[in-house]
Amino acid sequence: MEVADVTKFLAETTPFDQLDAAALGQLSAHINVYYYQAQDSVKINTDRLLIVRTGIFTLYSDQQQLLTKLQSGDFYGYQQLLTGLTDSDTLLCEEDGLVYWLEAEAFHQCRYQYKNIDIFFQRLFSRRLHQYREQQQASRFTLKISDVVQQRKIAIRPEQTAQDAAKLMSDSRVSSLLVEENNKLVGILTDRDLRSRVLAHALPSSTQVSQVMTRQPQSIDRHAYLYEAVQQMSQHNIHHLPVTDQGVCCGMLTATDIIRSQQDHPVYLIGEIHRQLSTDGLERCSQQIAALAITLSKQQVPAYEAGHIITTITDALTQRLIYLAQQKLGEPPCVFSWLAFGSQARMDQSLNADQDNALLLEKEPVGAVGEYFSALAEFVCQGLAQCGITLCPGNIMATNPELRLSLKGWSGRFARWIATPTPEALLKASIFFDLRVIDGSKGLFNALQEDVLQRTTEAPLFLYHLAQAALQRTAPLGFFKNFILEQDGKHKKGLDLKKRGISLITDLVRVYALYAGIHEVNTRSRLQQLAAQGIIDSKDGQNLNDAFDLLAQLRWEKHQHDLQNSHDVTNLLNPAEVSGLARHQLKDSFAVINEAQSRVKHRFCREL
Amino acid sequence: MFGWLLRKNTALSEVVNHFINTPFPASSTPIEQANFLVLDLELTGLNPRKDHIVSIGWVPIRGQEIVLAEAKHYLINSPVSVGQSAVYHGLHDHQLKNAHDLAQILTELLSHYAGYIFVAHHSGLDEQCLRFACQRCFGKAPRFRFIDTMQMEWQRLLRQGKVVKHDALKLPNCLKRHGLPDMANHHALEDAYSSALLLLSQLKLGGNTMTLSDLYLLSR
Repeated sequence: MEVADVTKFLAETTPFDQLDAAALGQLSAHINVYYYQAQDSVKINTDRLLIVRTGIFTLYSDQQQLLTKLQSGDFYGYQQLLTGLTDSDTLLCEEDGLVYWLEAEAFHQCRYQYKNIDIFFQRLFSRRLHQYREQQQASRFTLKISDVVQQRKIAIRPEQTAQDAAKLMSDSRVSSLLVEENNKLVGILTDRDLRSRVLAHALPSSTQVSQVMTRQPQSIDRHAYLYEAVQQMSQHNIHHLPVTDQGVCCGMLTATDIIRSQQDHPVYLIGEIHRQLSTDGLERCSQQIAALAITLSKQQVPAYEAGHIITTITDALTQRLIYLAQQKLGEPPCVFSWLAFGSQARMDQSLNADQDNALLLEKEPVGAVGEYFSALAEFVCQGLAQCGITLCPGNIMATNPELRLSLKGWSGRFARWIATPTPEALLKASIFFDLRVIDGSKGLFNALQEDVLQRTTEAPLFLYHLAQAALQRTAPLGFFKNFILEQDGKHKKGLDLKKRGISLITDLVRVYALYAGIHEVNTRSRLQQLAAQGIIDSKDGQNLNDAFDLLAQLRWEKHQHDLQNSHDVTNLLNPAEVSGLARHQLKDSFAVINEAQSRVKHRFCREL
Repeated sequence: MFGWLLRKNTALSEVVNHFINTPFPASSTPIEQANFLVLDLELTGLNPRKDHIVSIGWVPIRGQEIVLAEAKHYLINSPVSVGQSAVYHGLHDHQLKNAHDLAQILTELLSHYAGYIFVAHHSGLDEQCLRFACQRCFGKAPRFRFIDTMQMEWQRLLRQGKVVKHDALKLPNCLKRHGLPDMANHHALEDAYSSALLLLSQLKLGGNTMTLSDLYLLSR
């Protein structure tokens, strides 16, 4: 017979939360409960699965290095159960707590019976948990009717007059009406019907609605997909579809609703940006970015694609501003390239990104040339700021004369960083090594990039320092109640997903990319190239890629959450709000980062 | 005329004899080697002479591990109405219609857990009820060895020099004090399980060298 406290806990613990009540009851019958006091050491090679119920347990390696801390909902012993190999870790109770010991037999039985639970523990073991998904995600670009239809129902009775209908339409500012009798849909009436069936036939305004309405109209369920509605409308050549909810009419979907829902589609927005004739117009366009982000998130577009789309919009704004600047300032006196650094260059811009840009010029920026591009930079950067892409607090912008250089000037600048690197300088300069041309001459840019990559591939000292800089920050060891566990054993509140996760991967990958002379700037593309060229192990590359996607996804979701609650968009995650699978996945990603960092250290930071 | 009754008693009392003849572990036994059975009874009232058992829940502890595989919960046929006691244990007469025969459950208890030290929270009442129930069913009752988690908690608090308020010893309050999950809700098995958790914590606090005789002292 089952103890409710035990089954209730299991029912809330990933991955057992997928089991039904009967299976949970059976599982709990194979559990023994033990109470540990602080300082007790846990006998770990017992061929049972340990499930932490309460308390805190610390895992040390055989070299007494702190590996991780286990808390409520964490597991130990699956390693041995899966492989049959014992290990020499030590598990120490740090805060009094209860553990459940699940018999090996029941553990294996559960794995055989439930594929998902097997996958969970296999992934937990191989640190590939970030690939684990509990449910199949809904397919993309699948807005439903309920996502776009206006939540109001404007209806008229069949015995009312055409004039009543016209008045109701004007008052409610709609172009069509539902005709209902005893709460049952009997027809629809559009403004076009009033024109072609009433006025054109010289019928009086007192004509009953029932005489001119369209009877037995097509309708669609509000849970249907939007593309089904489009299909139905095109098929029957209609522009209005009554929407039903469980057979009861609840509103009207019009062709305009569908067009409007596509308005925050990136293609539409980008087209719109390129039609604007003033910065104010661009500002209005940019106000749609937040709505677009919410739509993308509703459509379950993965974070990296969303980052790509948002970057493309920033690119479009920049290009249009450069066009508008040229309209105002006249033809440029020489060929130039507008460069972007950092996240815009890597195409993983987020909603709270600031500007990082510069100008590469064919001629030296002196005299009239200098003045022209100073004015152009001022126009574009201020314009971007007006569009919500804030000015760079570090002044890494084309408005900074230090960042408006000729090819010779830039080449010399990069040569200095590469020839005489210091970790502090590189910490700041590393942003410049992710660069991409946004507008202007591609040839000029390519010449610079070739020049830079040629130098970095032959500069072990530079790579040594760049790697050192990339290793200055580490990922936290794990999540732990309401705080993050730092490498030095300290506790901190709040996790900066960018600083303690995404950037670490970006930095690592940059070191490899500059070492291998890879032209790609996007972190995922760099990883693919690195694996393809055999610079890194393809499994390690895949792991880093997955960890990167996971962290980017969590940040994207955090931003969505902030946006929908009208908070400032930040990268700071409250650990108390992370639960279940995400917590396991995050710990897993941190472990991947820590491993990758030690490989970089081994490869680039040996004594020279 | 009452011969069948006599025969039944003779046969059934074998269970009691088996329990009586199984020795308890020596009082010098280290506690981690002793077997415990933590139990809880829900009753129709507080008078062991007159009132009846409505439900019983138990869970054994071996090697200081609670063995959930043997966790049991039984509803018992009561010869009288549960009356107002339903307010506490939530069991109503209609639920008890298909309940178990008291003698059958006591037989399982005595035959499986002979030699076990019994544990209950506020064990005095449970012990008396069990004895009366055995007397009623088998014509004789064994002596039980009982540990009282409530007494242990009381002594522990006194030793710490604390003033013990009257409700400080109630099971939910004890669980809270020990940082244990509080599920105590007058359900015989849930309460037995909660008392078992409390005992594990109390045993740990008593140190690793405790023997049964130390435990008996703590529980007095």
